[in-house]
Amino acid sequence: MKRYLFIISRSPYGSSHALEQLEAAMVAAVFDAKVAVLFRDEGAWCIQQHQAGAAIGQKTMTNVLAALPAYDIEELYVCADFLNTYQIQTEPTLSVMPIHLPEQQALISACDVVITAQP
Amino acid sequence: MKYALAVHGAPYASEAAAHALSFADALLAGGHSIERVFFFHDGVYQGLGAQVPPQDSFNVDTVKRWQHLAAQGVELGICIASGIKRGVVNEAEQTRYELQHPTLAPGFELVGLGQLIAAINNADRYVEFPA
Repeated sequence: MKRYLFIISRSPYGSSHALEQLEAAMVAAVFDAKVAVLFRDEGAWCIQQHQAGAAIGQKTMTNVLAALPAYDIEELYVCADFLNTYQIQTEPTLSVMPIHLPEQQALISACDVVITAQP
Repeated sequence: MKYALAVHGAPYASEAAAHALSFADALLAGGHSIERVFFFHDGVYQGLGAQVPPQDSFNVDTVKRWQHLAAQGVELGICIASGIKRGVVNEAEQTRYELQHPTLAPGFELVGLGQLIAAINNADRYVEFPA
């Protein structure tokens, strides 16, 4: 089975990019693929704590992320540089590993399929 | 080789379709096969049936080009979840949601996200054309 990496690069509520990427990641996991997710660029905002999506009639991104382990998606990564740039406070109930660019390159190389959907 | 393609850009707003169509033509000309073209995110607008391409530019009618690809046996699958929320609906979805008109162009079909993963799993290569 192929190993998938989904890269989420846009903010959680600015567009449907992040949510649609996660929907695809969950479907891949249902197909028994090994799935990892990498948050980078403005996508790093997805893991910010104290989100309240209901305030704008949307699903709260961190709640969606909390459901990923139920799909056997345990590998969540975030770009350490963007975490620092945006001073993001990670939602404490999520297990997300900060990694730098060389580790991101290694991750991308190690995966068979990379789905980015970024401009 | 067997290829799975994904298109993520809307028509005329991005080069996604132009690049994907040229790539697909080159694949078939080179003796390769295409497992499926999957339209995801804003790429679902590629299957909108009521497009009028601008007459005063070099843009070609991308819907016609997609349909030409479909006529060669290539499946054009639009993500149903991404599609219906953006108003790209076939007759079944039009009826289900009591909408006025179906909007999906002939040659395209609405499929589940599983068809993206299945295509990638069956293919030797996956290539995506972002917005």
